[in-house]
This record gives sequence, C-alpha cells and structure tokens, in this order.
Amino acid sequence: MTHSETHRLGMLDSVLGAINLGTIVLDHERRIVVWNDWMRMHSGFAPDAVLGQDFFALFPELAGKRIDGAVQQALRDNFPSVLSQTLHKAPLALFASPAARDSGERMQQAVAVTPLEVAGLPRHCLIQIADVSVAVTRERLLRDQALELRSQTFSDGLTGIANRRHFDVAMEKEVRRAKRAGSPLSLLMIDIDSFKAYNDHYGHQQGDDTLIKVAHALAAMLQRPLDLIARYGGEEFAVILPELDGEHSVMLAEKMRVQIEDLAIPHVQAAGNDRVTVSIGASTHSGSELADIAALLGAADKALYQAKRGGRNRVERHQEA
Amino acid sequence: MNETKTVLVVDDSRVSRLMARQFILSKKPSWVVEEAATGEEAIEKVKTLSPVLILIDVNMPGMGGLAAAEQLRLACPTTHISLVTANVQNATRNRANELGIGFMEKPITETRVHALLGALD
Amino acid sequence: MFNLSELQHDALVEIFNIGVGHAAKSMSEIVNEEVTMSVPSISFLNRADAAEMLGNKESSRVCGVSQHYEGAFKTEAILMFPEDKSLDIVRLMVGESVPLKELTEMEQEAMSEIGNIILNSCVGTLANIFAQELSGSLPQYHVGTSEEILSATGANASTVVLMLHIDFILEKHQIHGYVAFVLDLTALHDLQEQVDRYLAKVMGPA
Repeated sequence: MTHSETHRLGMLDSVLGAINLGTIVLDHERRIVVWNDWMRMHSGFAPDAVLGQDFFALFPELAGKRIDGAVQQALRDNFPSVLSQTLHKAPLALFASPAARDSGERMQQAVAVTPLEVAGLPRHCLIQIADVSVAVTRERLLRDQALELRSQTFSDGLTGIANRRHFDVAMEKEVRRAKRAGSPLSLLMIDIDSFKAYNDHYGHQQGDDTLIKVAHALAAMLQRPLDLIARYGGEEFAVILPELDGEHSVMLAEKMRVQIEDLAIPHVQAAGNDRVTVSIGASTHSGSELADIAALLGAADKALYQAKRGGRNRVERHQEA
Repeated sequence: MNETKTVLVVDDSRVSRLMARQFILSKKPSWVVEEAATGEEAIEKVKTLSPVLILIDVNMPGMGGLAAAEQLRLACPTTHISLVTANVQNATRNRANELGIGFMEKPITETRVHALLGALD
Repeated sequence: MFNLSELQHDALVEIFNIGVGHAAKSMSEIVNEEVTMSVPSISFLNRADAAEMLGNKESSRVCGVSQHYEGAFKTEAILMFPEDKSLDIVRLMVGESVPLKELTEMEQEAMSEIGNIILNSCVGTLANIFAQELSGSLPQYHVGTSEEILSATGANASTVVLMLHIDFILEKHQIHGYVAFVLDLTALHDLQEQVDRYLAKVMGPA
C-alpha cells in the first residue's frame, strides 16, 4: 500500500467517526460489519459489543417490521428504501443524550436503507440514520403558527367574529349552494342604532366594548353550524342563514333584537330610547335561479333602511327584487 | 400412491390456477385438479366433488376467498383448506386459525405445494 | 397500441396483485390496521391518454412519487393519486388532516415512503418472478398536473405507459390510485418476452 493509501483509509475511518449521521453496514447475512461512533453515542452500544452479530438478533423488536423488509429488499432485490419520520417516529432505540435515555425519550429518526456494493463480496446493506427531532419540532411550530395566522385573517380583530372577507367568501359559497340545492338562503343586516352618538358621548373605548358585547350576544344566538355572523362595517353586522326561509329568519331576527334590548346597555343619547338597540333588515333568496348576492344584500339593506325609518329597534323584511 | 384424489384450486387468475395445477400434478400425476374462478363457483362445485385439498385465493371479486372458505369449511369438514394470499395479515391469520384453515403465501412455490401434498398422505 | 393476449394480461395482473399484496402487508404493519390493496385492471396507453385518465384539467393537481429502475429492463415507475384523493392515504396513515397546499415536507416524506413501499413491491415481485437483476433509485416526490409529472419522468410521444389501477382500502376507506410504468419500445419488448417465458414455465411441459 502506498503512503497516501494508508492515510486515505485512516482518514475515511475518521470521517465515519466524525459524521453527524448514524452509519450501519450489514453483510449479506445481516451481520453488523460497520457501526460508527454516532451509533455508539446514541444507542449505548459500543462497536465491539455489536460487530459480527445479526442485527435482528440484537434488536429483536425490529424483526418483521418495516426496517426488516427494507434490509431484505436492499440485500435481495437491490432496491433502496426510506423510513420517513412521519410514519415511523423512532424505529430504533436511539437517544439524543444520556438524560433523554433515562427519561425514555427516543430521538426522532429519518432512516434510509440502501444496497451497498462491496468489491469481491456479496451485496451488503447500508443503513443511515439522521436525527430529525429539531426539524420535527420546528415543523410543528410552523404548522401551529400557520393555523393561528389563518384564523386571524378571517376574523375581526376587535370582536373576534368573522370579518368582512370571511363574509364575502361564505356568501359566495352559500348562494351557490342554495341555487344548486334549490334551498332558501336568508340574510340579516344588523345595525346598532345611534352608534355615532354613543361614541361621541361615551368615548370610543366604551364604544368598542359595546361593539364586542353586541357581537358576542348576537353570535351566541346562532345554533346551527352553517350560520355565520360577521362584522360587515363599523357598527354593522351581517348574518348568513343557509336553508332558512323568510318567516323563520324574521323570527330569529326578532329574538336577536330582543336579546340586545335585554342587555340594557345605557345609551342616553339614543334616539327614542334609553339603551343600546339594533335595527335589523332581513331578506330571503328562495332558491330560484335569478337572485344573486347583490340582490340579496340590496334587499336586506333596503329592509334595514325601512327599519331605521320606521323608528329603529325593529325588524323589517324585504322581498328579493 | 396411484389412487386418484381431487384438488380444487380457486383463483380468479387463470395463470395462477395453471401454475397450481402444474405444481400439483408434478408430484401427484394421477390426481385430478378441478378449478373455480370465484368463491361462488367453488361452493357450487363441492356439491358434487370431494376434494382432499382446496387452495383458495383470498383476493377475488364477488364474495372473496375468506367468506368462501368459511362456507367451504362447513360443506367439507374433513377437507384440508388452505388460503393463498400475498397479504398475510394478523386479522386474516387469526380468522383462518379459528376456522381450522391453513395459510400459504403468494407467490406459491412448487416446494411449498409439494410439502403440503406430502403432509396429506 | 400495444396488445397482450388474455393469458399474458392475466399473468401481469396476477403478478402486480401479488406485488401490491405484499405492499399492503408492509403498510398494515406500520399503521396496525388492516390494509388491503389490489390491482383490478391494467392498461397500456400513450402519454396523452394516460394523462387524461389521471384527470388532466388545469385545476386538478396530482401528487406523485417516482422511482427509476434499471438493469434487465429500464423504467420509470410512478405512484399517483388524483387531487381529491391525494394524501388521503397519508392522512389516514398519519391520522391528521392537512390540505394539499399546506403539505409540509414531512408529509411529503410520508408519501415518498408510501410510494417507495408500493413501487418496490411491484417491481420487486416482477423482478423476482422473472428472475431478473435490477437496481432502483430513492423515491422522488412530484406535485403538478398528470401531464407535467409524466413528462418530468420521461414519458414522451414514443413511450408507452403501463397503467395499473390500484384499490387501496384502509379503515373502510377505499381509495383509487394508479401506478404508471413508463416504458420505451425496448422495455416493452423485454416485458412481453419475460411474460412469455414465465407463461411457458407455468404451463409446464406441453
């Protein structure tokens, strides 16, 4: 052997000892012939304790499992296999640290089992193990954040109920569904009476508090999962009621009006009243082909206007155009 | 042994049936091999046959191999029945044990078939 | 188009059924549930028809896992699920529900492993039954239209796609998917030859 070849072998040995990856090589009879330092560190088994032994005799709990089939496929069929961390969190008993070993908390692993050609010998099998615990935790964090973000962009910052954007999306969906199913769809437009006067008199802070109270009170009255209440404007709310006809939507609107009245939030500047009240305009799409979102909204708006004109703190209904 | 016995091979794959037939006859050339392509067909056939062995594929259209095997076990209490499948799962294995039915993994090999035939003697 | 005799067709269907049967067993061990897989039918198509079968509308995206095999014959094997079924299997196996868009790298890896299991099983069974030597690559994950995935994996005007319909059943959910083998004329010829050789063995001495 030349000088450089001797060094090369020693160097490759050092590489195997230094790399941050579990490296196991099995011969054609599944005996361990390479067990690198990473494996020693994280399995608790020193090389001389395992070299020459049948891998599956040493780890009998792995016999018949995915890694067994993977080793077989590498040796017999010459095919590589992967064991994803999603489907197998921790196939081998490996631990990040002695403390983790004591608490029994296994390291999360990504495993690759590949055929290995060795000159002059029958096919061997290479098993590589990566510690993916950090990646797994980070993934989970990112997913939680994404979920959080998603819920935020559809909800109104102040009241926590759906925002206008959510309403628009839901409205489109429900109108389409109603048309396809030939079922009714009702819409309520709810406006807090004399709200500007309320803000002027009590201040915007209290105005916000009242908005929140009213929003929650209204939301609490929605029983069915498909019903949606959204903050449509500054002091305006919209309620989508799928599969509810005109008569029943008006009944619900009336219940809502009473509920707000019963909150008895003092409003000395209210026109014609001493407390916070709402006016409600209701419209219904009967499921025919002709009506659309604009028509439904327009009708509810007209009804709301009628309610205001009619003295506030009341429910009015308008038929679709 | 020159006596004639009958084996029923049940599989929706014709090639599979041919292969089983070949393996059986290579060891027992005087025996008769009957075929059925579905569980229903097999149940019909055993009304007039008395096979010593039934090989039945699990993965078949219609009633399927397991359901058919249950009925065949009732119809032929002394016949050796063997389920043949590429998908050997515990649920199936347990059910087979309950019924007193054997198991053979696919692809079937001549060696295993010969061993089974030998055990019948 | 490429045509097989009834017996040749039967032989291939049977071989692939054995392959997915083994894959089902592996998968059931992972989830500790009963998993059944079968290949009810196979067909030979050109690329355009194959893409069509997988649903080639602009909006429909497909999730695919491909592996390259070579040796006694050369092919690109791809496991594919149509968009609305994509990842249902992963979700069933992992037990979570995440929409395709938010598919994280980890779930992609789960899908890669599932593809790895199913494809290795199919091709491995084929190679074993034909007593042939092959080598395979690690799985590669793709998302796109079926047309894009087939092109990316080498299907062109002169290649034939051997399409397997796959039925996957887990927890009473039945999911339809496909395994496509992209074969050029040489590979196709090899395949037919191997099937004939196998049939001759099966039929026994005349």
